[in-house]
Amino acid sequence: MNWKSLLRHETFLALLLVVVLIVLSFQSDRFFTVSNLLNQGRLMTEIGLIAIAMTFVIATGGIDLSVGSILGLTAILTGVFWQNVGLPLPVAAVAAIAVGTFAGFVNGLIITRFTVPPLIATLATLALYRGLAEGISQARSVRGYPDWFYVLGQGEVLGVPTQLWILAAAAIIASIILAYTRWGRTVYAIGSNEVASRFSGLSVEKTKLALYTASGFAAALAGVIFVSRVSTTRSDMGTGIELDAITAVVLGGTSIFGGRGTIAGTMIGLCLIQALKNGLSLAGVKGDGTIMLIGAVLILAILASNLFERSGTR
Amino acid sequence: MTAAPYVSLTGMSKSFVGVKALKDVSFDVRPGEVHALLGENGAGKSTLIKMMSGLYSPDAGTITIDGKEVRFASTRDASAAGIATVYQELLLFPELTVAENVFLGNYPRRPGGWIDWSEVRARTRALLDQLDTFDLDVDAKVLTLSVAQRQRVEIAKALSKDARILIMDEPTASLVESDVQRLMAVVRQLRERGVGIVYVSHRMPEIFALADRVTVLRDGGYVATRDIGEVDEAELVSMMVGRPIDSLFPKAEAAIGDTVLEVKNLNHGRHVQDLSFSLRRGEILGVAGLVGSGRTELALTLFGMTPATSGSISLEGRTVSITSPRQARDLGIAYVPEDRGQQGLVKQMAIRKNVSMASIERFSSGIFIKAGEEAQRALDAVKRLRVRCRNIAQPVGELSGGNQQKVVIAKWLETNPKVLILDEPTRGVDVGAKAEIHTIMGELVKQGVAILMISSELPEVLGMSDRILVISGGRLTGEIDRADATPERVGMAMTAHQSGEAA
Amino acid sequence: MSVIVDLPPTRPATERPGFLRRLFADYGQELVVLAAIIVLFAVVMLVNPRFISANNLTTIFAGNAYIAVAAIGMAMVIITGHIDVSVGALIGVLATISGTLAVAGYPVWIAWLAPVLVGMAVNACIGALVAYARIPSIVVTLGALSIMRGGLISFTGGTWITDLPPAFLIAQKSVFGLPVPLVFMVVLTVLAALWMRYSAFGRSLYAIGGNAEAALATGIPVERRTVAVFVIHGAFAGLATILFATQLQVIQSTVPPNLELTVITAAVIGGVSILGGSGTVIGSTLATILFATIGSALIFVNVSAYWLRAVIGLLILATVLADMLRRRGRL
Repeated sequence: MNWKSLLRHETFLALLLVVVLIVLSFQSDRFFTVSNLLNQGRLMTEIGLIAIAMTFVIATGGIDLSVGSILGLTAILTGVFWQNVGLPLPVAAVAAIAVGTFAGFVNGLIITRFTVPPLIATLATLALYRGLAEGISQARSVRGYPDWFYVLGQGEVLGVPTQLWILAAAAIIASIILAYTRWGRTVYAIGSNEVASRFSGLSVEKTKLALYTASGFAAALAGVIFVSRVSTTRSDMGTGIELDAITAVVLGGTSIFGGRGTIAGTMIGLCLIQALKNGLSLAGVKGDGTIMLIGAVLILAILASNLFERSGTR
Repeated sequence: MTAAPYVSLTGMSKSFVGVKALKDVSFDVRPGEVHALLGENGAGKSTLIKMMSGLYSPDAGTITIDGKEVRFASTRDASAAGIATVYQELLLFPELTVAENVFLGNYPRRPGGWIDWSEVRARTRALLDQLDTFDLDVDAKVLTLSVAQRQRVEIAKALSKDARILIMDEPTASLVESDVQRLMAVVRQLRERGVGIVYVSHRMPEIFALADRVTVLRDGGYVATRDIGEVDEAELVSMMVGRPIDSLFPKAEAAIGDTVLEVKNLNHGRHVQDLSFSLRRGEILGVAGLVGSGRTELALTLFGMTPATSGSISLEGRTVSITSPRQARDLGIAYVPEDRGQQGLVKQMAIRKNVSMASIERFSSGIFIKAGEEAQRALDAVKRLRVRCRNIAQPVGELSGGNQQKVVIAKWLETNPKVLILDEPTRGVDVGAKAEIHTIMGELVKQGVAILMISSELPEVLGMSDRILVISGGRLTGEIDRADATPERVGMAMTAHQSGEAA
Repeated sequence: MSVIVDLPPTRPATERPGFLRRLFADYGQELVVLAAIIVLFAVVMLVNPRFISANNLTTIFAGNAYIAVAAIGMAMVIITGHIDVSVGALIGVLATISGTLAVAGYPVWIAWLAPVLVGMAVNACIGALVAYARIPSIVVTLGALSIMRGGLISFTGGTWITDLPPAFLIAQKSVFGLPVPLVFMVVLTVLAALWMRYSAFGRSLYAIGGNAEAALATGIPVERRTVAVFVIHGAFAGLATILFATQLQVIQSTVPPNLELTVITAAVIGGVSILGGSGTVIGSTLATILFATIGSALIFVNVSAYWLRAVIGLLILATVLADMLRRRGRL
């Protein structure tokens, strides 16, 4: 029954995506072009990477609100390590990603060692990490990166945006892990019943620690890609991205209470959001109007799948 | 005794998703009687009492109160008609005080609509005093109370609504003997006051001690209603199960071998103090004690949930330190916990995934799960332990209590344990499945597994154990061989060291 | 057959605990926050006596009163077992409505009443989706956040509302020598606290948050109460908006970023369990004051403005960890 209802939600969402794509391609000639679609892929990579890790976190019944701040912190550190500290850029980027990953590890530590509810813990670190980014940057931005660095965010490999390869690889690996390995099984078990998981000898704490660390890593990687895409670093980068990622995950059928969810669902949710954003902006709606629509789609999609589920099982 | 019934139900039927949960059942309760309702899990008892308390509406059938036909649209209607229910999982609010819990939903008001809090407290005090519960502070938050105390709050709540009929759903399932005694006194007192009581329980001694009449249900159908004087236990059991059950405690004779587990001076907190004992291959070691005596805490310490602060544990002669359930599992210790729903199972997950949960590494190559092998093992386990289910993809939450318990046992058997700790293995399990679980235990000891069985049910401890450890106040107060074990001896040891527990 | 052993009662009579122990048991977290405020005031005062000048105190209390007022409603929502991440966006929308009405020349009482009524109406929809459509509150309010944030910016186009009539700016006025926001904050906190502690409605919120299923079986109309608590929360958001919109001569079309997170944090640091069922509105107000005091104190001890948020974040984290350790000690 669980499995069926899950299938139902994803099928429903995929159908919705198809309808949206068809409508949008009729609306604007420029929508259904290869260059436009690839460009949209470029734009959704950062949210996508974060959403993949977030799917795991939410499937355990947790949440990570600090990802936007980690993204901002990593972006700032990349610039600072390179320009102010004088490290070579690759080393600077790797060091910044390491710090971002460590920030995720700290989240995990607070959640597992001190048993702070994830919502509260990451709410606190959201403020802390953003604060660190602001303090370190002192409101300065870093520009003028070498050209090769922009390959990551603005270049192409085999005609496809570089970061889209990264997103695709991450999505495939993550969905295999979640669906077919014992790590994935442990994630679902923790999300369904954490106490029973512990009583079954599963390593609940280690798993959660690893997931929040991975979430920090994903946000940090997204941060470096972000810098490469927009050619600059600022301390307010990634503000609010946590909500976009959570929206994609929940829209994709992952239960906010844990125990249920797939990477495929998350990716469909992500594409749906991006298609709507793009289609509307091509139709002349300003960027902020699209945010409105995404909110409405989120509520309606969950409402619809709730209704389907109820009528299906009763 | 032949007073007219206060409430009577005739021809009650109810279906869920096309499955008949109750077919054409009739039942009545007179003022001032205890009417026991018996049946295995799934027989339809819960459905019947939920209809009586207004939670479900019947598909067919009528309810009459004092001869007049009524319809309950909600629990409010039922409670207005004088029917109150004390559910098995107590419906209390831990953060609210005793007095608030009692009057929640129908507070006495002052003119102007404000709650009269001094009246609330005074009336709660009076109600608790009527139940001889002078030791309960009406301002205490419910989360600080014991299970038995909470139950008395529930009863006070029922009485606060001037209940004419009190439905009690397995009221003694989680009580220790002494609290059962107090509860039975309360029930008798209520009966004398003219309250009609519907008493649902699996425990035969209580039914024979309390009930005036007994009604048996089976598979959603009505079997019979008898005066208690007309029946004996064997007859009731066969009415429930639909077949005679030869022996309630089939003690299998197994060869007892070498010592597997040796515990010396084990300590953890106040509940495990200086415990020493040994457990041998093929042996069932019963652990008796009151709730809060440290039985479960002992199990949790052995299982690494709450690691020992001092003392030594040795397995097959090798001293080990156990600091996590994972480690305990790797050493060959398995624990079937007391709280099945919370600790034992992941209810939304399929039987297959629950069975493999504690030994998932064995079903994997690298990090990948071998789905075929996992399914095969689950099928074998379901067949071997006679788990009644549609298929192995069914979520365990849909199974009955007894079958859920078998899945928990199956999960741990997959780890090939040397020591199996069973904590209340048959609580909330119906008579038929209970016998089957006891049979499984017998088969396991024959294969050389050592079993540590914790139970609140004295007949079970006496019937199944080769040896009995008695714990009180976290200390060992008795070690009794099967041959010397009598209810009195065990009971004496259970209450020894009372001073150690008071705090 | 009977194997019942006759045993005496197992528990000794419980004594009624003393007043202080009871106070600490019921208001532990509130007292911790209060103590933190007092210590902070004492320390900063020693470093810089101007900290307790009337001017600065007004900034601390009056400037943040709107957060405290919003946190009262948030505390009620969280106590009932839900959460609202859209309140910041809602306050932004309501402020624009209120300001637009005031500038358009409507009587000021209409400009003040409108945000309260609209806030109640918006949250009635949110509450209905949570209670009757059974969508988790975090999902509904996440969607509502996007809708209101996007709607606000596309409607105003990012322009500020200026030329507010002086009569409208109630937050700049005083009664009996006290700034109006302070009076609002104190009166609303006290009323809400009494109401949560002694009214049947207030107690039922704790019951629902503690165990919704049991509350339903007890005859509490859980769905209606859920909608009601969101509506009340909307009213508090409206009242908060009045204070927020009238404290300056202009209304910005963007609310302080992450206002909803500040409000949630205030409720939780004040002792409201994120899982529902416990906490008080006194705690949420005290926590707001604590944050405001920290922010102000950092300026007075010469912490660079750039590092302000980092230090506040660190302090929030420290408070959370301390609270967790305290709770663990009690278990």
